[in-house]
Amino acid sequence: MIRLVHYLNQFFGGVGGEDKAGAPLQTHDGPVGSGRALAALVEGEAEIVRTLVCGDNAFHADPAENLEAALSAIAEARPGLLLAGPAFNAGRYGLACAAVGAGAQERLGVPAVTALHPGAPAVDVYRSRVVMVAASGSAAGMRPALEGMVRVGLRLARGGGLLPAEEDGRIPMGYRAARVDPVPAAARALDMLAAKLSGAPYASEIPLPPRVEPVPPAPAVPDLSAAEVAIVTEGGLVPEGNPDRIESSGATRWARYPVSMIEAGRPRFRSIHAGYDSRWVDADPNRLVPVDALRSLEAEGFIGRLHEYVYVTTGTGAAVSDAERMGAEMAEALLADGVQAVIATST
Amino acid sequence: MMRSMRLEVRSLRIAEIRLGDATALSGGALTVSPDEVAEAVLADRRIADVEVALAQPGDDARIVHCLDAVEPRTKPPGEGAVFPGFLGGMDTVGAGATFRLDGAAVLVSSRYPRPFSGLLQAREAVVDMSGPSAVYSPMSRVRNVVLVCTPNPEADNEDYDDAVRRAALRTAEMIARRALAGAADGGGAPGSETTVFDFSESDPRLPNVVYFYQLQGQGPMADTYLYGRNIHNLVPTLIHPNEVIDGAVVSGVHVYACYKNPTYLHQNNPIIWELRARHGRSLNFAGVIINRGHNYTQEDKERSSRWAAKLARMLDADGAVLTAEGGGNSAIDLMLACRYMEQDGIRTVVLSGEGPGADGYGFPLFYTAPEADAVVSVGSEDETVSMPEVGRVIGGGTLLDGETPARGPFDLKMYYQYCGVNQLGAGALAGKAF
Repeated sequence: MIRLVHYLNQFFGGVGGEDKAGAPLQTHDGPVGSGRALAALVEGEAEIVRTLVCGDNAFHADPAENLEAALSAIAEARPGLLLAGPAFNAGRYGLACAAVGAGAQERLGVPAVTALHPGAPAVDVYRSRVVMVAASGSAAGMRPALEGMVRVGLRLARGGGLLPAEEDGRIPMGYRAARVDPVPAAARALDMLAAKLSGAPYASEIPLPPRVEPVPPAPAVPDLSAAEVAIVTEGGLVPEGNPDRIESSGATRWARYPVSMIEAGRPRFRSIHAGYDSRWVDADPNRLVPVDALRSLEAEGFIGRLHEYVYVTTGTGAAVSDAERMGAEMAEALLADGVQAVIATST
Repeated sequence: MMRSMRLEVRSLRIAEIRLGDATALSGGALTVSPDEVAEAVLADRRIADVEVALAQPGDDARIVHCLDAVEPRTKPPGEGAVFPGFLGGMDTVGAGATFRLDGAAVLVSSRYPRPFSGLLQAREAVVDMSGPSAVYSPMSRVRNVVLVCTPNPEADNEDYDDAVRRAALRTAEMIARRALAGAADGGGAPGSETTVFDFSESDPRLPNVVYFYQLQGQGPMADTYLYGRNIHNLVPTLIHPNEVIDGAVVSGVHVYACYKNPTYLHQNNPIIWELRARHGRSLNFAGVIINRGHNYTQEDKERSSRWAAKLARMLDADGAVLTAEGGGNSAIDLMLACRYMEQDGIRTVVLSGEGPGADGYGFPLFYTAPEADAVVSVGSEDETVSMPEVGRVIGGGTLLDGETPARGPFDLKMYYQYCGVNQLGAGALAGKAF
């Protein structure tokens, strides 16, 4: 029998309406309010050993303290599962359910499920931290929301995993993972095309990007002859032995190496990039990072100064999120060093 | 629309495979002679040695360093070569009859004679024949005759690559030919059938669907061969689907195991087989446009993709299915073709692998277009697979990193699972939102 703790607000916990929204956190042994319907649903499989009820305003008067109090009350009950809500489209209640659920999951290791309308305010804040079953906008959808929480929650409590959000009736948490699909991809593709050609609805299995961010070219450097210029490359140029373990493909790491090392040729530099023929770079790193040419321009006074480090990562097969992060990290380091211009060599 | 080509693919189901003195087929049981295979392989001096091993579904076995896989095929005497440009002359294939040993494959496993640098690199590619990791590779569901080859140390990598490619094709043809020669009743197991590829009739009430078939032409170790030649200078052009099915397209791509389209999957291209099944029922299969993937410059990409869209228009296409091999650079070629077809009023569906990062939270596509609003997912290259310990390893004691014992257990990125994220749709996976 799975030990189950249930979290409710003052309304669903039977304390009262908005006038009781200030009611402080209280605990009951056993089901309360809408928890009675839940108890009937899980009969024989789980037992509601404790119910936490907290007023909507009371919780948010001091959310941190109330969360601590709720978590100790949950921990005391030694549950195998926490269910919070359903909170439907409620703002304060939804945020409390999500906060308590995320806390139980992250800090107590107790699987937690809540149920929210996809448009509820808590969804954007907590979607990646707590499992949310998709509920309707009002308590009219109580029954399917409870059933969804039970279906997913019992599976998690028994050590099972999540199914894809759509199959689980959940609000997506924001990550993707591959699963076996019994319908071959060729058949899915032609089914989708048939729908598209006939004007029937179809859903892409990979969504369009949420936003397209054009990158405007940076404004011209006002005076290049006074500027410090750095070289940044995605060409995978590393010292012998690849001390920073930059990946050949799908990089998550970047590093910077002194220009003087490259000029000295000690240690030897070579490219570990998996996406281009790097023989000419291995023979002469200047063909990837034009230190030689920039030294001439420096001597001529065409540029002010060559920055002392070359910034390196590998640009093939990287996840967009990693590429964005590494770009931002490099830019931050370059700005901190007072670099005004960058030559980015791409392969 | 596509007149004048009728191909009968006579599938002989292989229910069992074993090693023996003479290559032969009887009642669905294929006997393969290691001596005859060695003779075929070692006809090329660039290969120093070959061992023949069997790897069948359910075996407690793992194959490492996988290169090309080829389905044994032959044509009746006098009807020309399979794999034109490699075996026999430049016969135009795609008509007449072709015998295939359905459920069998010749799979090459080898290291290369020299160290690699950069792109010129055959990377690790693994097939498990049983256990949870056997779900990923289509070759896990096939009875494989594995050629474990040793290079002649005097050959260079590109030369050796050419040698093993030809050896696999030669061996596949030899096995099919000898299997057929002695099989009075055809030799296949029950369920053997003949599939006709004939698209000469079309129904004006049905939508015309073309297949945009992007072949990778990236450089050594990442090239596809069309009638024996690489496709670096290819302008998008038309090919009859029967030619593809009949061996006109041969793989030499060893760079990214999970995205690989081996010769076996060109011969058995799932999109073409599915289009054939629906031709005359819900659509007219109106043609195949081949394009080079990995055009080097933006101008080349624009030129190719617009050209491909124009060909689709010339074929009076209403819809198109688009596939590619690899990702990154070639995804741009693919998505631009999608864009220009859509802009011409041709509705598209794209098959693609995903790269959402190890935690799955990143945007899954490297490159996309607003027009690509119908994408079928074939899985994620970024996931990690637990590879259990196995009883038998074919191809080497360690992975190509030179350290990891191939017997296992170890964790391996999906990237190294042979055809694990196959963008022709031969794998089992689909990426899902969690």
